[in-house]
Amino acid sequence: MKARSILIFMFLIMGSFFMMTEKAFADSLDELRSLLPVSIGEWKAEGEDQFYDPRTIFDYIDGAGEVYRAYSMRRCLSRRYAGPKGGVLILDIFDMGSSEDAYGVFTHDREGNAVPLGQEGLYNASWLRFWKDRFFISLSDETRTDSSEEMKGILARKVSELIREPGRQPALISRLPFQGLETGSLRYLHDPVILNTHFYLSDENILHLGSGTEAALATYEHMGARLTLLLVQYPDEDKAALAHGSLMKHYLPNADREGIARLEDGKWAGSGRRGRFLAAVLESSDRETAVRLMAEALESAEKQ
Amino acid sequence: MAEEKKVITRRDFLKAGACVAAGGLMGIPVLRSPADAGEQSRVVLVRNMDVLSGNGSIRSDVLHEMLDSGLSALLETPDGASAWKRIVRPEDVVGIKSNVWHSLPTPTSLESAIRKSIIYAGVKESNISVDDRGVLNNPIFRNGTALINVRPMRAHHWSGLGTLLKNYIMFTPRPSDYHDNACENLGALWQLPQIRGKTRLNILVMLTPLFHGTGPHHFSKEHIWNYCGLILSIDPVAADATGARIIQARRNLFFKSPRPISPPILHIAAADTKFGLGNSRPEAIHLIKLGEERDILV
Repeated sequence: MKARSILIFMFLIMGSFFMMTEKAFADSLDELRSLLPVSIGEWKAEGEDQFYDPRTIFDYIDGAGEVYRAYSMRRCLSRRYAGPKGGVLILDIFDMGSSEDAYGVFTHDREGNAVPLGQEGLYNASWLRFWKDRFFISLSDETRTDSSEEMKGILARKVSELIREPGRQPALISRLPFQGLETGSLRYLHDPVILNTHFYLSDENILHLGSGTEAALATYEHMGARLTLLLVQYPDEDKAALAHGSLMKHYLPNADREGIARLEDGKWAGSGRRGRFLAAVLESSDRETAVRLMAEALESAEKQ
Repeated sequence: MAEEKKVITRRDFLKAGACVAAGGLMGIPVLRSPADAGEQSRVVLVRNMDVLSGNGSIRSDVLHEMLDSGLSALLETPDGASAWKRIVRPEDVVGIKSNVWHSLPTPTSLESAIRKSIIYAGVKESNISVDDRGVLNNPIFRNGTALINVRPMRAHHWSGLGTLLKNYIMFTPRPSDYHDNACENLGALWQLPQIRGKTRLNILVMLTPLFHGTGPHHFSKEHIWNYCGLILSIDPVAADATGARIIQARRNLFFKSPRPISPPILHIAAADTKFGLGNSRPEAIHLIKLGEERDILV
């Protein structure tokens, strides 16, 4: 039943693609707003559009605002559409300032089924979202109906079309070793709390993560072994060295000469640094595979 | 010279042999507790499946009865009315700290039941106020002598869970000051002059808790369920820890495998170990269960 509804939903999105014929584009949130449809079928924009900045975002989505702030959000536009039977659909468009951070905030929650929207789209539990250029777009409603699902698909496609250019994925992602990478596990982040959300490491920021650093977290499968890799790019070599020293001191004090340590649960973890890149295999069921992946990650990071 | 703070890492938890299956708090167990040698905290979990009607609306009379029976069990009094007389005194000025989060607010029928009970216990109606985001400017809260803390438990983007401990964040003009490290230091709020020593009762609403959040609005009807419970305690940490165990159990059931609350809820354990506000470990909690036992999850 669930699979069927996802299929129907994807069909609606694909179908709506052919209904769009407008050629107007938007490069800013204000332009985007001016081009958004006031109504689609029986669904009509309701109330005033609202804009939020990194300070006022809490008034809108409470503590959830921190996730968007962790990716340096600039502004958020929120518009509500009221449906024929009392349903309300919420369109939120976040201007993240850069396509890298639009991609990053998209990777924060990867649950769901892929949908062909924007540069990457996902759908689950009535929540449709995608990223394109420097925008992260979210469509949600609390009372799912066939009509609201259809509306979400049409509106999402419309917004995607209004954004002229695709954006770049973070360059760091292309520096990750490709072989064995589970692409659905990829996260891009700057903030230690975001890292702890996906892989709890410590109560202090021992990796010295922050707005000036970029990190990619991903799961790999190599010859039956599962590994979690973190690749971090620091602004300069000194900062990378400082973070590497801190990680070795606080997390891997028992590491051997190759930078690998046996964890208390029998798994392996290790870290190495080359230039301004730090690679850490945070968890691996096999020692040799961990050593290999770490070396591959550092080599691949430096090469590009 | 100041001693360097010990960094707590994932490995400390691995050493402690902690895991969700072993009943730890979302895989982040308490490593030490000042309350180790202290008394257990009493927590009452009262459930009644009749509190929700077929269309999901709340039956006020059932809810009021749950509140009274729960409080009476907590304080070991013959009935709810006498229990309320131990919670408040006629001369008290009482702020009922509620929660207005639009997707899952504190039920107005519960606010009303608390208000009525407090009036019945002798407090003047004019000396009672229910508020959330306006507490800093509310004269009853500013001059209050007693607080009743009441809110639903829900998944939360940054702190892991919206809890009783977190419900007091509106007492600071800058809530974001407490957002560091997944809101770990929320316990510090409880030392603010408007709060310190004033909380007489904590009520965690578990009627339809939100066990998982998605999207900016963090709410989907797929991620709530009819648990039909209230958790009552004088100890906010113990009440939150008990609610968190229920949420964790529900997540494991729903996702059909252990799915730790994310981000890890550091603030409950920290309220115990760092701020000494109460007990978070199950062995330090005396849990009294009333009513429906099916699917109790704890």
